[in-house]
Amino acid sequence: MSGPGSARPRPWTGLDSVTVLAPDSPGRDFPAFLDATLAAGGVPFAPERREVIHALSAAFLADPLLRRDAASVAAAYWMRRARVERLASDFERRVQAEPAVVRVPVGRVFHLAPANVDTLFIYSWALAFLCGNANVVRLSQERTPVVEAMLDAIRVVAREHAVLRAGDRFVTYEHDAAATEAISAWCSHRVIWGGSETVAALRPLALNPHASERVFGNKFSYSVFAAARYLAAGADERARVASGFFNDLFWFDQMACSSPHVLFWVGSEAEMEPAIVAFEADLQAEVDRRGFVPQAASAVQRRAFAFELAADSDVRVGLGHPGFVGIRVREAGGLNRESCGGGLLRHYRLDRLENLAGFAEEGDQTVTHFGFGADELRGFALLAGSRGVDRVVPVGEALAFDVVWDGYDLLDDFTRRVRVRSA
Amino acid sequence: MRSPARDLLELPPYSLPQDEKRAMLLPRLEALTRHHYEACAPYRDIVDRVFGGLGAVDFGRLEGLPFLPVSLFKTHELRSVPDAAVLKVLTSSGTTGQRVSRVAVDAETSQVQSAVLVKVAQHFLGKERLPMVILDHPGVVKDRSSHSARAAGILGMAQFGYRPFYALREDMSLDAEGLVAYLDSMRDRRILLFGFTWMVWQHFVGALERLGLRPDLSRGVLVHSGGWKKLRDLAVTAGEFRERLRALTGLPRVIDFYGMVEQVGSVYFENELHLLQAPIYSEVIVRDPVTLEPLPDGRPGLLQVVSCLPTSYPGHSLLTEDLGVIRGADLPGTELKGRAFEVLGRVPRADLRGCGDTFEPRAA
Repeated sequence: MSGPGSARPRPWTGLDSVTVLAPDSPGRDFPAFLDATLAAGGVPFAPERREVIHALSAAFLADPLLRRDAASVAAAYWMRRARVERLASDFERRVQAEPAVVRVPVGRVFHLAPANVDTLFIYSWALAFLCGNANVVRLSQERTPVVEAMLDAIRVVAREHAVLRAGDRFVTYEHDAAATEAISAWCSHRVIWGGSETVAALRPLALNPHASERVFGNKFSYSVFAAARYLAAGADERARVASGFFNDLFWFDQMACSSPHVLFWVGSEAEMEPAIVAFEADLQAEVDRRGFVPQAASAVQRRAFAFELAADSDVRVGLGHPGFVGIRVREAGGLNRESCGGGLLRHYRLDRLENLAGFAEEGDQTVTHFGFGADELRGFALLAGSRGVDRVVPVGEALAFDVVWDGYDLLDDFTRRVRVRSA
Repeated sequence: MRSPARDLLELPPYSLPQDEKRAMLLPRLEALTRHHYEACAPYRDIVDRVFGGLGAVDFGRLEGLPFLPVSLFKTHELRSVPDAAVLKVLTSSGTTGQRVSRVAVDAETSQVQSAVLVKVAQHFLGKERLPMVILDHPGVVKDRSSHSARAAGILGMAQFGYRPFYALREDMSLDAEGLVAYLDSMRDRRILLFGFTWMVWQHFVGALERLGLRPDLSRGVLVHSGGWKKLRDLAVTAGEFRERLRALTGLPRVIDFYGMVEQVGSVYFENELHLLQAPIYSEVIVRDPVTLEPLPDGRPGLLQVVSCLPTSYPGHSLLTEDLGVIRGADLPGTELKGRAFEVLGRVPRADLRGCGDTFEPRAA
């Protein structure tokens, strides 16, 4: 056989180490799926694709396990009809803004999902799916009940939606460079959702020469509060801030890239201590209100981290709150970017918001804030952003998924611009 | 500093009722806390930065003492004597790549550790040294440059026996002929056996069953240690462990003990009720793992171990990563005074969600 199509190497022929988890695919013939989708071409935000996302959102919210998991509920909300319609109109506006460009799907996207931020894969996949792509999503071999429940929902929805059955596979396989390279030869875009060790291990694996790639290394995130503004806030506002902060801190046991590890207080020495005392009381009240009890291992781990810090730098460790460990850091040496998760928060005082820009460095991701005006924040973002900060968002939105992630627009990653000049 | 345990060496190790024992321990632990505060800078920093300084410490009860998480010996050099005074550095066993504890021991601490271990062990084994079978292979103790916990455990127990016979070969197979010959040569004598719990089960009990061997250990006593995790995974209980040994060899006495390289000497042997017993030199406290509140008897929680021995390193009050439960003190059914408790295993690993790596590190 000859012809342009057959010239392409197909290293996946005979590949049998990949297990397809969803949708249920008859015969589980994964290499045949890769062959069949080579020429696949969807339309960004096609109505049948939006319908799939709506249906999944409903299926997640109907699942008893997912309905109880805050991170899964957030994912389901993000996939609701109104949100998807809004995303579609955003996309449409971009198309309108570039009359000499036709947006097409990038084609075939290979997603390597992180093992532990277990809900992230659904965002990555949903965006690429909405953009009209065929997708292979590699999931960890150790899947949480949340992921299993999401896969169940995908299987059910796929029965009603041919577009999902035809173009998408959620798979798993053991550490196998051959499988990763085979799928990398198939895809036209590869996205590795970290962390740094995984990126280092996977990035060297050969990729289809026409493909693009996006990788996400480990990130560090923190929070900044205006001390005086917090002290002046009413009980309702403080409770709202505490509730948002609780989500930022505990949704993924403080192990997500966006989870804050340091709380910077902008204000005077005299303001800082009462602000910390008030904030920690508010946060513990929120912990109590939600009936949240940390795992024993988290408590052991964060305490060990706190003692190590106390042996090394001038800090004051507070073990009085069961929900979290609060540490007052008195010298910048206590602000290393190591983190342990599980609810350990370091407090540090700054005279001015601009000073925080001096702390920022490459690998810093999200800064959540309370008590600053838009102009101040833009000024800060301008100073800090060039050094490394990717997002500056209000407290409570650290873990909200955004199509602009780590400074990169995923809608751009998942589509291509075909330039069209008519004359 | 002279160890506050020294003047307890004249006392039988389980002779003090709980209240008396606590009253006796309290000033000793206060003295140790003050000593290490003066002599060990990182310890002083921690007392100041975590516990609010010595002035804020409640020396009125053992539960008020500052403590260190035992893991700190893995990350920090903690000693209260000059470098030149360090006689040996004890290390914990750890699999390759794991960080190990490093514990600096000087002459004083070393002597007291040995003396206390002798007092405790003799209480159970008698003063006479016994012919000894070590259920391990001799290679473990040959490399004297590293005092691994496994070697330290064997060497520590070896002082209670003579003519030690190592029953396993380098490949962990049972030297059955050698064992039978050794037992023949020691006929009619009491025999001390020592091994680590998992190895006793895997390489001794397992081998006897495979080979269909029934050596006569009806005059033996087995002392073992090292934790139950692997046996628990196989759903083997302590009772079953003892029963299988008895069925195979007639072994009448099996004694488990709990100890750690960070508190050598003041170890916890099993009493007649098969509960671990705190001797006069040491105490256990159980705390809520999250709030750190001391818990009453019967409530499982995180084990804190308190010992009046160590003067060369601040290991007199340690928060372990083991879960345990106190069953009471001065219990009926045993002559032994003091607290009796059980170890329930390690705190389960945190099931943390987070930006973990997509592939575990061995990815290609």
